[in-house]
Amino acid sequence: MSTDVAGSGAGVPLAVDGLWKVFGPRPDRALTLAADGATRAEIQAATGCTIGVRDVSFTVAPGETFVVMGLSGSGKSTLVRCVARLTDVTRGRVTLDGQDLTAMGDADLRRIRRRTMSMVFQHFGLFPHRRVIDNVAYGLEVQGVAKADRQARAAEVIEVVGLGGWAQHYPQQLSGGMQQRVGLARALAVDPKVLFFDEPFSALDPLIRRDMQDELLRLQRAMPRTIVFITHDFAEAIKLGDRIAIMKDGAFDQVGTATELITNPATDYVREFTEDIPKAKVLTAAALMTPMAPGAEVPHDPTGAGPGGARTVAAGAAVETFLPVLLDGADTLTVVDADGRAVGVLARTDVARALG
Amino acid sequence: MTVAAEPVADTGEPVPAPAAVDTAPAAPVSRARRLAPWAVLVVGVLALQAAFASATFPARLDTTFSDPLDRLARWAQSNRRTHPLFTGFFSPLTRALTWALDSVQGLLEWLPWFVLPAAVGLLILVRTRSRGQAAVAVAVTLYPGLVGLWPETMATLALMTVSVVLCVVIGAPLGVWCAFRPGVERVVRPVLDAMQTVPAPIYFLPMLLFFGVGPVAGAFATVIYALPPMVRLTTLGIRQVPGEAVEASTMFGASGRQTLLKVRLPMALPAIMTGISQSIMMALGIVVLAALLASGGLGQVILEALRQRATGRGLAAGLAIVAVATVLDRAARAVAQTDRTRWLGRRPALIALGALVAAAVAGRLAGSVAFPGVAETTLFDPVDSGVVWVRDNLSWFTRPVNDTIVGDVYVPVRDFLTGTVAWPVLVAVPAWLAWRVKGWRLAVFTAAAVVTMGLLGWWADSIDTLTQVAAAVVLSLAVALPLGVWAGTSTRVEAVLGPVLDTLQTLPSFVYMIPVVNWFTVGIVPGMIASVLYAVVPGIRITALGIRQVPTESLEASQAFGATPAQTLLGVRIPLAAPTIMAAVNQVIMMVLAMVIIAGLVGGGALGFQVINAVTRGEVGDGFEVGAIIALMAMVLDRLTQGIGQRLQPPSDR
Ligand SMILES: Nc1ncnc2c1ncn2[C@@H]1O[C@H](COP(=O)(O)OP(=O)(O)OP(=O)(O)O)[C@@H](O)[C@H]1O
Ligand SMILES: [Mg+2]
Repeated sequence: MSTDVAGSGAGVPLAVDGLWKVFGPRPDRALTLAADGATRAEIQAATGCTIGVRDVSFTVAPGETFVVMGLSGSGKSTLVRCVARLTDVTRGRVTLDGQDLTAMGDADLRRIRRRTMSMVFQHFGLFPHRRVIDNVAYGLEVQGVAKADRQARAAEVIEVVGLGGWAQHYPQQLSGGMQQRVGLARALAVDPKVLFFDEPFSALDPLIRRDMQDELLRLQRAMPRTIVFITHDFAEAIKLGDRIAIMKDGAFDQVGTATELITNPATDYVREFTEDIPKAKVLTAAALMTPMAPGAEVPHDPTGAGPGGARTVAAGAAVETFLPVLLDGADTLTVVDADGRAVGVLARTDVARALG
Repeated sequence: MTVAAEPVADTGEPVPAPAAVDTAPAAPVSRARRLAPWAVLVVGVLALQAAFASATFPARLDTTFSDPLDRLARWAQSNRRTHPLFTGFFSPLTRALTWALDSVQGLLEWLPWFVLPAAVGLLILVRTRSRGQAAVAVAVTLYPGLVGLWPETMATLALMTVSVVLCVVIGAPLGVWCAFRPGVERVVRPVLDAMQTVPAPIYFLPMLLFFGVGPVAGAFATVIYALPPMVRLTTLGIRQVPGEAVEASTMFGASGRQTLLKVRLPMALPAIMTGISQSIMMALGIVVLAALLASGGLGQVILEALRQRATGRGLAAGLAIVAVATVLDRAARAVAQTDRTRWLGRRPALIALGALVAAAVAGRLAGSVAFPGVAETTLFDPVDSGVVWVRDNLSWFTRPVNDTIVGDVYVPVRDFLTGTVAWPVLVAVPAWLAWRVKGWRLAVFTAAAVVTMGLLGWWADSIDTLTQVAAAVVLSLAVALPLGVWAGTSTRVEAVLGPVLDTLQTLPSFVYMIPVVNWFTVGIVPGMIASVLYAVVPGIRITALGIRQVPTESLEASQAFGATPAQTLLGVRIPLAAPTIMAAVNQVIMMVLAMVIIAGLVGGGALGFQVINAVTRGEVGDGFEVGAIIALMAMVLDRLTQGIGQRLQPPSDR
């Protein structure tokens, strides 16, 4: 893939600070009640207002993929729409590359949208009256790019997402997975620095979903962009997310890496999400080990059968790869980094507790 | 009690009390309650009848409105050339529209006759590649020429084209505006509703005032009549565009205007097209009436055929109107057909256009402009002789039917209501009904409406019209309900009825009035039969729909209990379909009311005749009053029947 197609610049930092979104007739009263600690249901009953997003703050580093996950109705779409300024925020601030989106006028916002950000939608949001290539070229068309140029660019991106040969078709003539590739191509065509995904793969069947996830990872490796990705599927969150936020009733319950959420869930709600995850596949040796000071003595393993009496395991190895060794009777393992230096110790009891 | 220990109690749901305990002691009270309104009715009617037995209605406002309106009309008449309102606004508007009508008609007449059919065929071919459709369109376009109505058809085509274009030009932006501004919609929607309840000839009166007699007034009346579906469907189409598509457009930095032009309007196009189609159908429905304003064309032909009782020629012209509507609709659809995969390439399209222009020029040079002469009389002669045969040979049947309806039903009922019954009784009874159905607001409105009829000095005519309307409604329902139920239970019956109903619906109602006038002579009966023919169509359709929509589960449940088909029909189907059937009744009443004026043309007398009189003689004051009365009748009857329909809804849906 040419660097041209992948894009020219890396991502830009995104910061969300104290964001609130209240739907309904009396947002100020709802905010006052919320400040006194009323729950979403109580506020709904008292004011008729729905709290969509409740005091959410987070930052996304350039090139980082930040996943927001939660059950239906938890406010994920509302959050991403606020961040993208598709709806007005009730209170709080969204800063993109140092610019305050919340205070921005329509003209400036349009400028930012044309140059910097893009979005992929749950139900694709394609334009049925336009061919695939005109769908993909839409962002460029809106910017006023000449027809020949934008079609050339669109054709390139269509190749990148693996839709070569379909450019002249209409969206309805494509399968769901292909339609979402069009959605992805349309978002990539304007070479955005920030990408918003609102459950983009939820409407696809599992095999196609996996393909699309791999596609996204490939694109992200080639050209890291700042991504906010919404999903209700924890497996997807783990696969794609550098960090994951768990959302409930409009607020974040916990933000952290997959390992942090699994090994150290802050609430029962978070724990419920992580329960069904095959932990042995997700957790790594580094996540469970007790770190040791550089150059410390490697402890002796009496049952050790390996060279030097102790068995070693790579820091990045998933638990399932060394589980047989532990079941074989090893009490502790030495965790080594890529250079073979010991960085920590992994006790069988630690692993058992994490998996339990 | 052991029930308390059941999980039901744990969930906090109230344990339902046994029904009998609650209602048994209340029964006597509720019986008294049930009977009280009837007692009020009976006592009230007797008292009013006794008190006002021989009083005539005090027509206090007889001249209050009509005189100033007549003065206004006379003023408009004499100031049309001088007053700034006319010189500055209406006259330029009239001139512009006259120019548009004349140019379109001039062009159509200038073109050699074969160019229009060829153009329609090629347009459809180029945009849809469908040879079959193109061939049908060519045939339909040729038809009016074949029956010798080419020049009249061109006049009507010009009028309809200009009207429909104006409809789109006004209606589409208005619809878009309504879609974005709920405030605008709140104002526009009731106006549109009113435009659809008020019988069309009533807009003719202001048109006459502003534009004078002629095609321009006809065009404006047509635009007003045909506008509502255009506005409604545009609004609907814009609203139905999925939010994600609009958000996607916004996300790419499109301005509101870009999103409207590139996403919203194209995606709303199918709905907008339906709006245009419906507007064309509406315009088609009013072409004949517009001829009352001397707008000429096919409408004029039909009015003359009605006067001369020439059934064949009337039918020929009626079919020509349908042809015009069909061609316009097909052409509009071809233009709006956006699926480019079905377009013919650019080059063949250009070649076709070139050939068309060449043919036009060649035709002009060769002088073959007028449609080649066709013996118009041959085609529809059999129709005429058939009608005459029926008149001459079936009078043993038509005469008694006519005499029974007039002598034994209509005249006695009318005389009883206008002569014997005291007028306050006729105010009180409908008001009482409205109160029972929907409460005191509708009761007050109903009473006010009925009193207005008398105050304006139209008491006898109103009662006369209402008698005819009631008779036509009863007849229509007697036909429509059984047929509708039958069609709803049998696909075969529905398949047979379909084309008949389609024909009745598309042919201008004047057309089937002509033979009826032949058979029954002028009087109330032809109008009534025409109303019935017009009104049974929605009556049958909606009833059949209601019957068909009854969930199969309910039917199967009934069968599972061993019910006979008749038991299932009476016990399950009809009760469950009752609200929809009530909607059918509502439509029947509205259609009959819409026909009141047309019935006035063939001797229906009463209010219908007054409107025709007002339009043709320019008696604006009387026309407005009568129009307002008909509109009031429509509103009261509409709300009453809708109210009854709501009461028939199962409680959960209310
Ligand atoms: N325009 C609106 N007006 C009023 N309430 C709204 C609006 N949009 C969303 N809500 C409410 O806000 C809450 C959060 O909705 P949101 O669509 O953000 O949930 P979600 O997490 O995206 O759910 P899903 O997984 O179903 O997409 C819901 O209770 C919803 O009813
Ligand atoms: Mg959502």
